[in-house]
Amino acid sequence: MADSRLMRNVSIVGTSSLKQFSFDQPEWEGYSMYEPWACAVSQALEDANIRPNDVEKISYSQFAYFPTMGHICAPVNYLEEWAGLAGKPISHIEQACASGYIAFTEAVQAIASGEYDVVLVAGLECPKFFVPIDEPAYRVKPLSEYKEFWHPGVALFDCGYARFDGASDILLPDENGFYYKEFYGLKDEAFIDEAYAHMAINQRRGAVRNPRSLDYGSSKDYSEVAKDEGFSSDVEYLLSPKNYKITQFTRKSGAVMHNCAAGALVLMSDEAIKKYGVQNRPIRVIDYAASSLSPRKPWCFHNMNVEVRKQLDKNGFFKPEEMDLLITTCMSSGEQTDSAEVFGYVPEGQGLQYEIDHRTAFDGDTPINPHGGDCQWGHAMGCSGVNMLSEAVFQMRGTAGDSQVQKDIKKTLVRGMGGGHTTVGIILQNA
Amino acid sequence: MSYKLQPILKTYYEGLEEGKILGAKCSECGDIAFPPLPVCQACGSVDFEWVELPHELILKEIRWEDASVGGDYTWRKGNMFFSVPITEDRYCAAVAQFDVAGSSPFHVPLYGCTEENYQEMRKLLPFKVDVKLVEHKKDFLTVGAKVRQAEIDKANAAAGVEA
Ligand SMILES: [Zn+2]
Repeated sequence: MADSRLMRNVSIVGTSSLKQFSFDQPEWEGYSMYEPWACAVSQALEDANIRPNDVEKISYSQFAYFPTMGHICAPVNYLEEWAGLAGKPISHIEQACASGYIAFTEAVQAIASGEYDVVLVAGLECPKFFVPIDEPAYRVKPLSEYKEFWHPGVALFDCGYARFDGASDILLPDENGFYYKEFYGLKDEAFIDEAYAHMAINQRRGAVRNPRSLDYGSSKDYSEVAKDEGFSSDVEYLLSPKNYKITQFTRKSGAVMHNCAAGALVLMSDEAIKKYGVQNRPIRVIDYAASSLSPRKPWCFHNMNVEVRKQLDKNGFFKPEEMDLLITTCMSSGEQTDSAEVFGYVPEGQGLQYEIDHRTAFDGDTPINPHGGDCQWGHAMGCSGVNMLSEAVFQMRGTAGDSQVQKDIKKTLVRGMGGGHTTVGIILQNA
Repeated sequence: MSYKLQPILKTYYEGLEEGKILGAKCSECGDIAFPPLPVCQACGSVDFEWVELPHELILKEIRWEDASVGGDYTWRKGNMFFSVPITEDRYCAAVAQFDVAGSSPFHVPLYGCTEENYQEMRKLLPFKVDVKLVEHKKDFLTVGAKVRQAEIDKANAAAGVEA
């Protein structure tokens, strides 16, 4: 029996390695979004041992392109030119922070169907910044100067209509705390607080060791931060008002950190891998599933996870006990716990204890987000899916450096979510 | 050779401020990208060098856009909808190319050509025009082209337009 649902083998054979960044970091002064885009695409092509002309199709993801790219319609053609890809077929996937994951699954389909052999998945995003309509693209300005930009919480909150923008990505995964209380009978909210503090410690340990994280070089482990701030321990610091609460359960250390990024992956069929003499160990895509639900009703995040899990189970190629690594969107602490439990990566009701016991850290026995995840490593909206898949690739190749997981990784579950809301589950396997 | 991250747009726009028109010349195949791009449009190489281009272009085509919705569309668009150039001069879209090996034709705003003389001016193509650095209200320059007086006079005379 085949070990994959795909009609034809599809593998990731190239990735970019550009770090998460922000235009207010001094080294990014004078850049536009086009240079990092060209850089990320070129890195992925070089990693896959191909030239731009070898790419047959591009699946590109970006969320807020209109205000942040200078108000041009469909920048696909300019993006292609910047990367030497002019004239290629390209599709733009815009599905909020799930864009990168959906762009990836579209690319997988393009190869699995037999239509293409070499497909590039690439994304970019510059949240918090924009380019005025009448200025060159390198004159990037802070989004605070752009009055019309949509922001969670300021849009119309209308329950009678499909318009629930009254809650942010940080608030909604906060449901995980309520879920523990309602379904596992947890009485002590302090336990959740403590577990999320340990989650932040675990994630931060990965992020400070990962050269692609937003604040690499300046960010420190919480034990050091606590010492600098005059606290006796990292947990004491994280439970103090210095690390203030944003919601009922989520503190600042457990809230998504938005930043700019560009990223790219090269996907190939087995035939193309042979043809181009790919040197990297190919990482095969075994299966994927996706679900979208409106967040008008409670447990939206949880139920999308349940639906994706159901589809994967039905397909028959997902065995939770075989997963060596989980990389998951973590817009706020609760999302990591809920995802780990629903997909059976940790036993139901024990996700929080796994955090407290540091089993989920990069050097633990059940690693989750060894790079640090969206709260500590960075999150670039429509590009984040591409970036998270790249981190899975580095881990699976064994080239993640100081935040490398301490065991052989045969299979990885990459689970992504975007505020549209859409959840995607992707199963990867080392070939 | 690996991609070298460097500011492309800023270098280009700052070059214009100093009167330098910069292009990117591929070190592998010699193709010149203008405006400069970090990846070669001909061969895909990421190895390029900055080159300075001349302040003279070969004008290859003048584009007249007949929008039957209200007429005079090209000229109105030039003044009303494209960017915000300081000059009130009218311009239209044209195709031009640097007289340099490896360069390709590109679209450029053309000054000195009018609704009255453009048909006669097209009969003179191809001919050399000067680069005109167009000032914008937000304090930057872009590359445009301006027809030289000799061609304006010839086209006007042929079209019966009084100078
Ligand atoms: Zn070339």
